Amino acid sequence: MPMVTLRIQRFDPENDQRPVYREYAVNADPTDRVLDAINSVKWYQDGSLTYRRSCAHGICGSDAMRINGANRLACKVLIRDVGAKVTIEPLMGFRVIKDLVVDMEPFFAQFRSVLPYLINDEGAPERERTQSVHEREVYDDTTKCILCAACTTSCPSFWADENFVGPAAIVNAHRFIFDSRDKAAAERLDILNDREGVWRCRTVFNCTEACPREIRITKAIGEVKKAILSSAR
Amino acid sequence: MTDLDSIEQYAYDVLVIGAGGAGLRAAVEASACGARVGLVCKSLLGKAHTVMAEGGIAASLANVDERDGWRVHFADTMRGGQYLNSWRMAELHAKEAPERVRELEAWGALFDRTRDGRILQRNFGGHRYPRLAHVGDRTGLEMIRVLQDHGVHQGIDVHMECTVLELVKDGDRVAGAVAYERERGLFRVFSAGAIILATGGIGRAFKITSNSWEYTGDGHGLGYRAGAELIDMEFVQFHPTGMVWPPSVRGLLVTEGVRGEGGVLLNKEGRRFMFDDVPALYRDQTADSPEEGWRYTQGDREARRPPELLTRDHVARCIVREVREGRGSPHGGVFLDIAWINEHLSNSEEHIRRKLPSMYHQFMRLAEIDITKVPMEIGPTTHYAMGGIRVDPDSQMSGVPGLFAAGECAAGLHGANRLGGNSLSDLLVFGKRAGEYAARFANENGGTTIDGSEVRRSIDAALEPFSRDGDGTGAYQLQFELQEKMQNLAGIVRREEELEEALASIANLSERAQSVAVPGNREYNPGWHTALDLPNLLTAAEAVVRAGQARKESRGAHFRDDYPDKDPESGKFNLVVRRGSDGEMVLEERPIVPMPEALQQIIEEQQQ
Ligand SMILES: Cc1cc2nc3c(=O)[nH]c(=O)nc-3n(C[C@H](O)[C@H](O)[C@H](O)COP(=O)(O)OP(=O)(O)OC[C@H]3O[C@@H](n4cnc5c(N)ncnc54)[C@H](O)[C@@H]3O)c2cc1C
Ligand code: FES
Repeated sequence: MPMVTLRIQRFDPENDQRPVYREYAVNADPTDRVLDAINSVKWYQDGSLTYRRSCAHGICGSDAMRINGANRLACKVLIRDVGAKVTIEPLMGFRVIKDLVVDMEPFFAQFRSVLPYLINDEGAPERERTQSVHEREVYDDTTKCILCAACTTSCPSFWADENFVGPAAIVNAHRFIFDSRDKAAAERLDILNDREGVWRCRTVFNCTEACPREIRITKAIGEVKKAILSSAR
Repeated sequence: MTDLDSIEQYAYDVLVIGAGGAGLRAAVEASACGARVGLVCKSLLGKAHTVMAEGGIAASLANVDERDGWRVHFADTMRGGQYLNSWRMAELHAKEAPERVRELEAWGALFDRTRDGRILQRNFGGHRYPRLAHVGDRTGLEMIRVLQDHGVHQGIDVHMECTVLELVKDGDRVAGAVAYERERGLFRVFSAGAIILATGGIGRAFKITSNSWEYTGDGHGLGYRAGAELIDMEFVQFHPTGMVWPPSVRGLLVTEGVRGEGGVLLNKEGRRFMFDDVPALYRDQTADSPEEGWRYTQGDREARRPPELLTRDHVARCIVREVREGRGSPHGGVFLDIAWINEHLSNSEEHIRRKLPSMYHQFMRLAEIDITKVPMEIGPTTHYAMGGIRVDPDSQMSGVPGLFAAGECAAGLHGANRLGGNSLSDLLVFGKRAGEYAARFANENGGTTIDGSEVRRSIDAALEPFSRDGDGTGAYQLQFELQEKMQNLAGIVRREEELEEALASIANLSERAQSVAVPGNREYNPGWHTALDLPNLLTAAEAVVRAGQARKESRGAHFRDDYPDKDPESGKFNLVVRRGSDGEMVLEERPIVPMPEALQQIIEEQQQ
């Protein structure tokens, strides 16, 4: 098995003033995932190495981190795609709790601020509400979000202003704004028309590039902007 | 000695442990009943194992085939479970699942739709009609997101990245829980009028598994130590199709949906070996020819299902047989071929990419295999625990007053084998019931008092690994050893001597677990967390092995090489495990209460 060098940013709040980089050499097959390589450090070299992971399936969104400078899910990137020397760092823009674990609360707060739940006061129908295949298709893409924060933490507007609601929250607002069953689009558009809302987006496309679910985020943000403009008219 | 005053304390009417589908649904319900609800989970909210579910939720909505109804679903579930299921749970489940799915829809869940705008349903193994409500192959993600957002905006208190270590009792009744938060390593004490365990399964007791790191049998261990009974622990579901190559992703699930869309199983000779062995119970419902099987997958209502869609226990065993007899694929599995459908569909490649996007990407990225062109290599993977905490079918309360359980950590509904899709519906139906009855129990029985010395004891025990000498790899190594042993000695095919050997290994590992040392400090220390998970995992493993030894027949997911046949006498009881007065594991045969006439009749009607 070939050797791979992992350069991992470490931070122990009890002992470190600032983050340090440590290098670990591990055996890894080209078809191993970066997550496997990090696991092997934790299991066989340093049991205190800390990071989040859960499903190892690319679906829970726990293990987004910076891998060679790009936001990726460690369970979806293969060693053969990152080479023999890999730098691994926590997501940018959030407080580091320990090693690769960041404080996600501000991210979840932004998410909650867009009312991410269906609002419809009309009594529920006896059977399900019907929805045509087309009506459903309109917001299919934005329901794929796994809240991994890869998009928001790759966005220069977010780095510049941590109060910017961020692409992930807009994506999650989009799914309700364009859901034919929801009645609160106006309210959400209002929230996103705010100073810290969609207009901070400079269409840099970093978010779309970072999304492990291949959601066309910039396109979704564009649709929200357009909806705000047409509702203002 | 730990000073209790410095510990954060919380009081709730209902404490829910676990934020997967079952825990969230329970929390939503308890809160709707007016209870103050606390919800604790090991990972971040929204990351629980439920998020991985792909195929769908089983409910007889009859949107695709109007012949479906709760009676058929009930009979299918009982047949799949080889009649060891709690018939009352199977009845409630079949009757209430459609309402629970519609409710989820009303709360905003996205579903794939039929042409007339209704919730679309797909075929799955063991279900007579297309029954699984789904959204592409991300049904679990959608379910958890909707429940979570619905719950959080209802005002449920959430404690994320917080692991429950031990339950605390007030006399007979459960009174609270001691937990530590993973971030700072600080302890928290919860007191509660009622507690619901919704911690999921035990898959991490095995080496090859589709399950996430959270599946260390915590609820099984917590409930067992608090005096609850575990039932049906010998039944561990091995899903027939996990990836076998490359090694790093061995065990990763390949959804049953591949077979639902027409995928077939082949041995290295290219033979569709599933046609060679169709169990008597299913012969009338199984296709005679590949051609009839294909028509079934394409929605022909007159056709019968292909043998690849027989129940999981059977398919997994047939695969093991092919491999053992030298007809396997290069990496120790068999072939799953969906590419062959180009014989029937001119646009097959595009069709496959559209119907199975995650599978297409999974194999393309991880194995560099294009499933639209060549077959996949697959083999069985540990997937689901049918066994768990024994509960009252209506209320979900365990034998310990005030302690409830729902979801995968509870047992009864699935008997000897679970049908695909019946878990997500289980979470909704019995999560709701647990929430409702727990709120009622808390309301009727009032608050509890927590005994400080019990709390102190569990905290001191949890801190012990720090004061021992060692290099800290200990906890992981023990977990690996256990996984290796369980995989080899208590897996799909079992034998008396091997189970005996497994038991000896577990005893040895339990002994060594007492002296695990952990370096570092309490802040987000994964080595420590693993050490604390060990006792639960060991308890679950021991229960699997002991029950597996005691069931001297082959039925459902439990296959004994030395007793390869079903034994009618053994079909009359469930095996129950509980903690004896000296802390030893006690095993008991519990006779199955006969089914009421009306349900019996449904089973007979549906046999035709
Ligand atoms: C890949 C895959 C695909 C599947 N697809 C399907 C499908 O299509 N249809 C279907 O019906 N079923 C499917 N299943 C099965 C189904 O997903 C699970 O059985 C189900 O999600 C279990 O849900 P749960 O609510 O019981 O537990 P989980 O969702 O696992 O939640 C457990 C919760 O408990 C918490 N927890 C555990 N221990 C502790 C502790 N000590 N302290 C605090 N919190 C704790 C965890 O953090 C988590 O929040 C699939 C399973 C897998 C692995
Ligand atoms: S661990 Fe779940 S997305 Fe990677």
